[in-house]
Amino acid sequence: MAYTPQYYPGSTSVGINRRKHMSGNLEKLRDIPEADVVSIMGHRAPGADYASTHPPLKEMGEPDCPIRQIVAPTPGAAAGDRVRYSQWTDSYYFAPSVPYWRSYWGAINCKGCDPGTLSGRQIIEARERDIEAYTKKQYDSEMTDVALCSMRGCTVHGHSLRLEENGMMFDMLARTEMGKDGNVYAVKDQVGIPLDKKVNLGKPMSEAEAKKRTTIFRVDGVSMHGKVGARKYDEAVEAMHHMWDLRSKWGYRPE
Amino acid sequence: MVTKSDTESIQVEIVPNRYLMPATAQSLLNEIYENGGIIRIMIHGPNLPRSVPYGPGKGAPIEENRDLLIEVGGQAFELSVKVGRIRLELESEKYFDGLKAACERALPFSFQIRRGKFFHTRPTLTDYAKFGKVEDTRILGLIDPKANKDRLAILSEEKVTIDDKEER
Repeated sequence: MAYTPQYYPGSTSVGINRRKHMSGNLEKLRDIPEADVVSIMGHRAPGADYASTHPPLKEMGEPDCPIRQIVAPTPGAAAGDRVRYSQWTDSYYFAPSVPYWRSYWGAINCKGCDPGTLSGRQIIEARERDIEAYTKKQYDSEMTDVALCSMRGCTVHGHSLRLEENGMMFDMLARTEMGKDGNVYAVKDQVGIPLDKKVNLGKPMSEAEAKKRTTIFRVDGVSMHGKVGARKYDEAVEAMHHMWDLRSKWGYRPE
Repeated sequence: MVTKSDTESIQVEIVPNRYLMPATAQSLLNEIYENGGIIRIMIHGPNLPRSVPYGPGKGAPIEENRDLLIEVGGQAFELSVKVGRIRLELESEKYFDGLKAACERALPFSFQIRRGKFFHTRPTLTDYAKFGKVEDTRILGLIDPKANKDRLAILSEEKVTIDDKEER
């Protein structure tokens, strides 16, 4: 039987969603044109050439190295692209993804990237054409809800604040806005520079759907312990206790 | 036995479960104003800068945060924060129930309202640095100690003053 990695324990909806995020087996909810993703990222004008930091690998004449023969370079590395980033902020109010799970997703599923996890934001760095593809995947998949998640290169403040009246996560720089038609529009790039044209990101998730798709354990949502009042804790807690136990013993008595 | 005076002022904090749009903030403040009995009031929330404060886009104007004018009690003033919390001092307890009803009328979602002590009574070091010796102690607790300048909208019967730099 083929081996299936078991990414995360537990039978709660959050545990299942966390496994989905880590495995990369995500549902596609929307299709935002590549040019729009590029313009929101703000590193390169859509359609412009990729700037490079070195010549294409084929022209460079690489040294004879067994690892280089085994590992095929990513398209960005092969072309010598510069390294660029995309950074996400996810609301505590049942955003589908959280910084750790974006990082797990990146580290497991995206070749040649460098995920960075912070409390309120998550950044992935990679070669330019690679990061554009990874960012589009994040935007299009169920990892992102357009009201509760947004791409913020700076001034990420908002993830831990109450939502706005219209259900959007607070953004000091007003990079996204709720249109009268109920769709969310990106009006600025990730660092707050206005875009030439608004980008329609589609409708946000309903509160019930966000709760269904979230990877956040919350006291007013799904508890990490599983069903409240159950005789047995969910496997997620058992696994965490197990890891804590081993780590403590390793730390205190390394044998 | 000590009997509490029913004319003693009380302090109240209102925390809506969502951040308020300027229109909702205006209707809430007007309802509170009409309820009467206010000694002082402070609105609190995250800052809304007029231009991008840092990063590669530093200096780019944020049109959405400009001219957020609201009119309270017939006087207009500009919001510089997203309203998320209102603290006020009422002349006496008898205005409290009316205040609660005012919030219920103006807010389309749930909120928390509680009594407590929310304004400090003795000047802090920051207060001293900003004002020197404070003559009118009502001003204590109304200033954001972290603001570059004292941002304060004083609504009195005579005039409205807003002391804030245009570009920050």
